[in-house]
Amino acid sequence: MKYILLMNAPRSGFETYRAWPPEAVQAHFAALKSINQGLCESNEFVATSGLAWPEQAKVVRAGKDGEPVTDGVFPESKEFLAGYWIVDVESPERAGQIAARISAAPGPGGVVLNMPIEVRQVMSGPPEEFS
Amino acid sequence: MKYILMMNTMRAGESVPKWPTKDLQAHIAFMLNLNKSLRESGELVSAEGLAFPDQARLVRAGKDGAPITDGVFPESKEFLAGFWIVQVDTPERAYTIAARASAAPGPGGAPLNMPIEVRQVMSGPPPEML
Repeated sequence: MKYILLMNAPRSGFETYRAWPPEAVQAHFAALKSINQGLCESNEFVATSGLAWPEQAKVVRAGKDGEPVTDGVFPESKEFLAGYWIVDVESPERAGQIAARISAAPGPGGVVLNMPIEVRQVMSGPPEEFS
Repeated sequence: MKYILMMNTMRAGESVPKWPTKDLQAHIAFMLNLNKSLRESGELVSAEGLAFPDQARLVRAGKDGAPITDGVFPESKEFLAGFWIVQVDTPERAYTIAARASAAPGPGGAPLNMPIEVRQVMSGPPPEML
């Protein structure tokens, strides 16, 4: 079963993060890299990506002629995706365990962040009855 | 440049949209066709659909590192329904593809003109952070 682990944060979370001392950022990335390595070794790793900062985010809709109408304004409450992992695991519980490891990545002063990680199953295709 | 195009169109607790079956089929056929043309142009990196928000969970590490799982989300929260990652030459091309996805048909075949969030995907953490 494939699961996606989504690291979402409001804009304020990104601003806080940008103020971290470099050694905290390095330790954070080292922890994530070590998680990735573990997932590769257990053959559970499918993909991971980090996204550009929220101020570069755009929302696009089709206009009447199908041309893109682009906007860069989002509601204050909006959560932005910072990055994600896709893992291939035996059970939802295993996906939860991996999410908890990511959640416990260190922040400033080495204190565990306990950040919330959204866990969603990735489907192999549309439900059969609709295709 | 890689971009992720996200359909953040679902709300907490939502499941399969209550559209007539033929409208759901037309919507899915449109998406499969979009994927096919992106594959043919060599721009498709990946396309994924996620399970509905009624199955979403939020996980945090507890004090002992064990997962604490919660399934309650604020009403305002947007849920990712699916996404594409595309490899394109310019951000404008990513917006054009997003507009195509945005115009996918909904009930009665009318274009949904749904919002698609477009974000650049980084190849790695910024060098100054390593």
